[in-house]
Amino acid sequence: MSAADKAGRRGWFGLRLSVFLIYVFLMGPIAIIVLSSFNATTSMAFPPQGFSLRWYGEFFRSDSFVDAFLFSMKLGLCAAIGATAIGFLAAYAIVRFGGRAREAAQSAALLPAMIPHILISMSLLLALNFVPVPDFTVLLAGHVLICLPFTIAGITASLDGVDAQLEAAAWTLGASRARILGEIVLPLVAPGVLSALIFAFIVSFGDIYIALFLAGPGMTTLPMEIFSYVQWESTPVIAAISTLQILLIVGLGLIVERLVGLRRIMRF
Amino acid sequence: MIARETILSLEGITKRYGDAGVVGPVDLTIGKGEFLTLLGPSGCGKTTTLQIIAGLLEPTDGRVSLSGRDITDAPPPQRDMGLVFQNYALFPHKTIFDNVAFGLRMRKVARTEIVDRVTEMLRIVGLPDIERRLPDQLSGGQRQRVALARALVIRPTILLLDEPLSNLDAMLRKRMRHEIRELQQRLGITTIFVTHDQDEAFEMSDRVALLDRGRIAQIGTPEELYDAPTTRFVAEFIGDANLIDAEVVSADGRGLVRLRIAGGSEMLARTSALDLGPGQGALLMIRPERIELADAAAPGTLPARVRQRVFSGERITLELDTSGGPITCTKPSLPQYRQLDPGMQVWLQPGDCRALRAS
Amino acid sequence: MAAAADRRFGIGLLTPIGLLYLFFLILPIGFFLSMGFFKYDVFGLYKPELTGENFARLVVDPYYLDIVALTLKLAGLTTLFSLLLGYPLAFFLTRTRSAWRGALMFLVVAPLTTGVIVRTYGWIVLMGAEGIVNKTLIAAGLIARPLQILHTETAVVIALVHILMPYMVFPLISSLAGQDPNLERAASTLGASRARCFLEVTLPLSRPGILMGSVLVFTLSAGSVVIPQLIGGKDVQMMGQSIYELVLHTLNWPLGSAMASLLVLLQFSIIFVYFRSNRRVRR
Ligand SMILES: Nc1ncnc2c1ncn2[C@@H]1O[C@H](COP(=O)(O)OP(=O)(O)O)[C@@H](O)[C@H]1O
Ligand SMILES: [Mg+2]
Repeated sequence: MSAADKAGRRGWFGLRLSVFLIYVFLMGPIAIIVLSSFNATTSMAFPPQGFSLRWYGEFFRSDSFVDAFLFSMKLGLCAAIGATAIGFLAAYAIVRFGGRAREAAQSAALLPAMIPHILISMSLLLALNFVPVPDFTVLLAGHVLICLPFTIAGITASLDGVDAQLEAAAWTLGASRARILGEIVLPLVAPGVLSALIFAFIVSFGDIYIALFLAGPGMTTLPMEIFSYVQWESTPVIAAISTLQILLIVGLGLIVERLVGLRRIMRF
Repeated sequence: MIARETILSLEGITKRYGDAGVVGPVDLTIGKGEFLTLLGPSGCGKTTTLQIIAGLLEPTDGRVSLSGRDITDAPPPQRDMGLVFQNYALFPHKTIFDNVAFGLRMRKVARTEIVDRVTEMLRIVGLPDIERRLPDQLSGGQRQRVALARALVIRPTILLLDEPLSNLDAMLRKRMRHEIRELQQRLGITTIFVTHDQDEAFEMSDRVALLDRGRIAQIGTPEELYDAPTTRFVAEFIGDANLIDAEVVSADGRGLVRLRIAGGSEMLARTSALDLGPGQGALLMIRPERIELADAAAPGTLPARVRQRVFSGERITLELDTSGGPITCTKPSLPQYRQLDPGMQVWLQPGDCRALRAS
Repeated sequence: MAAAADRRFGIGLLTPIGLLYLFFLILPIGFFLSMGFFKYDVFGLYKPELTGENFARLVVDPYYLDIVALTLKLAGLTTLFSLLLGYPLAFFLTRTRSAWRGALMFLVVAPLTTGVIVRTYGWIVLMGAEGIVNKTLIAAGLIARPLQILHTETAVVIALVHILMPYMVFPLISSLAGQDPNLERAASTLGASRARCFLEVTLPLSRPGILMGSVLVFTLSAGSVVIPQLIGGKDVQMMGQSIYELVLHTLNWPLGSAMASLLVLLQFSIIFVYFRSNRRVRR
């Protein structure tokens, strides 16, 4: 083995070691949450002392947490559907009719990702002072806004993989633009659209900035509930809820990964 | 050629992307039931022209009319043209049946009629019993036929084919040439075929339009293009041609000229450039297979020396040096030609010479 | 006309997003930002009187000046460390032939998907006075009293790096994966050492990814509220959090708006620099 090869191997090994440590860093806090949710005592000693599901029981007995959880689900579902539908139409327009303006249009579509979310929600809060819009509508609109960059990025990537000639073929066979969209394009990008839907749900479900300002009475999302709890005390119930949320989201995330790969959605 | 009623005409069709002119101006008419081929090297604007005809691209300038009706601005669904793409563009998520039925469904044809027509069309293209399969379960040749069936089942006014054979292997390609031509004749459907392959164009077409950088260099029957090319590009693109610089000695003004090449030899040639006059430069074109060899000098012969002999089975190619420059000559693989060794002296008797305008 | 119909169709497709962005994004934000030019009113949102005093206060009042400076410092540090940790990760993920690559890729995004609150809670459990680190250290007899980990700048940077890492890694992966590995091979056959290869071929070519990732991380960290609030506490004040306080607690919308304008200005000047240098790279 040459000296260069040896150096190369040592370099690669060093890289793997640092990558391992980085993963420990990334996964650490999450692992800790999951582990401490099974802790039998109130204290958060590590490693956990005893195994119990009492914190999960407490979660399910707490109306405020269960309500918040259900509300988050409902909001996430509505926001995901809205952001996916609007994002699909916009992404198609950008990809097929963008022409030379495509790059500019794509950047404009990603605007909500470039503006701090707190600004979006504060502005909407301010606007509510002058234009009364139902609370839920504004909250939903805010969530659709923050989900759109993700759905558009993901669906655009999927659409780029569709052969434009298929659409041309359908067109020459007599299909209208709308028929082409529904019968040719949508089925072909269905995995991308579905994963965009899931990803949007995840984004909405984890949001705090929009909800904190815009949620009206009776509209507490799960992160809001956790936020207000964490500011005053930290009980392992939070860990149990967080674990449930992680499970839900990791499950959904795995589906997305299966469908198209998360990378395409994360590529701005 | 049979006189045909004009079905499609292009007038001054031009396509530009920014400053770059890609096509045109192109003027072209095609008769009912005719098989016309757009032939040309890659990038010369064949696909662009075809897509303008199909309505997928809008011409920058010019007019497209179908049976006398101006359709320049009509979107593809209003044109009723069947287009077969180079990569077939079969809908990967639809079965073969649904692929072929698609155009009929868009036309709101009754369900029972759709079934009948799709089945019938799949039988015509020789693919019964594959209706339930998906495109990726078919071979290249089968996919090609499905694409053809899908375009034909709507009974299009014109069938447009964009290099439909280029993705097939050589054997299948040859067979499909004949199948498509036969089908076209049987259905009597007006067809515009695009290819970069001269053999394909010649074997299948009634007429061929040779494109050069977005313009029609020459249009005519395969025989006209081969026998009487009007420019150097056409002569070189179609078949092999010996092109020799020459000077016009005399012209009769009715298409017959006498040319002199370097070394002083003179030759009679036909031309379509009727304005060629004495003293002007011209190009002398001689097809390699139209040259007779003689052993001794005779009036009208050109002395030459054999530089190389290439044997390729049925054919022998002779590379010769003459006073006018190198000349290639092809001969059947007969004993008398096999004996011609490099260095030997021969005399050439060119036939069917053409005079082209010097480029 | 075919092209005109296409245009109509395209505009139709863009109508929903256009209306949403106009009425729920551009107009409200425009209005919010314009408030920075009005006078503060103790009894209402603002006095309809133009003034420059809000902006003046931000640059003159040392309290707010400190906040801006700290934001720049912490966002800068966060960007730097995200890059230092994210680069090896992205490099490894694009070059490894491990069967676990997909799973490893997923693990990078997984933290992002759990939401900011859950992860922040994880850090509190870990770093709080009653947290795991302190308890373990005390139990081991290494320290007598809990260390102050939470509510320090370091803790904020750690938490921000943790949360924003995916935004750095994915643009990097995009630019590294787009590279032809043959380039590296070509360089090494020309006798370049591995380090030189990396410095002269790989690194310059991944510049667009570095820039994009840095812009995203800087922007998102400068605007974050939850982490400075929960992990930084009172001692670590950043711009996003300060806007939040000004608007929701002090009810001084004009000053909050001015601060927000400053933040947006900061972010867009960075994005502008990004596009400028990216264009230079392409050329
Ligand atoms: N959208 C476009 N923008 C600019 N140039 C184009 C575009 N589409 C095609 N071209 C150019 O037009 C020329 C003709 O293309 P095409 O019609 O596809 O040629 P062919 O089918 O004969 O190979 C090519 O040189 C191609 O580069
Ligand atoms: Mg072509």
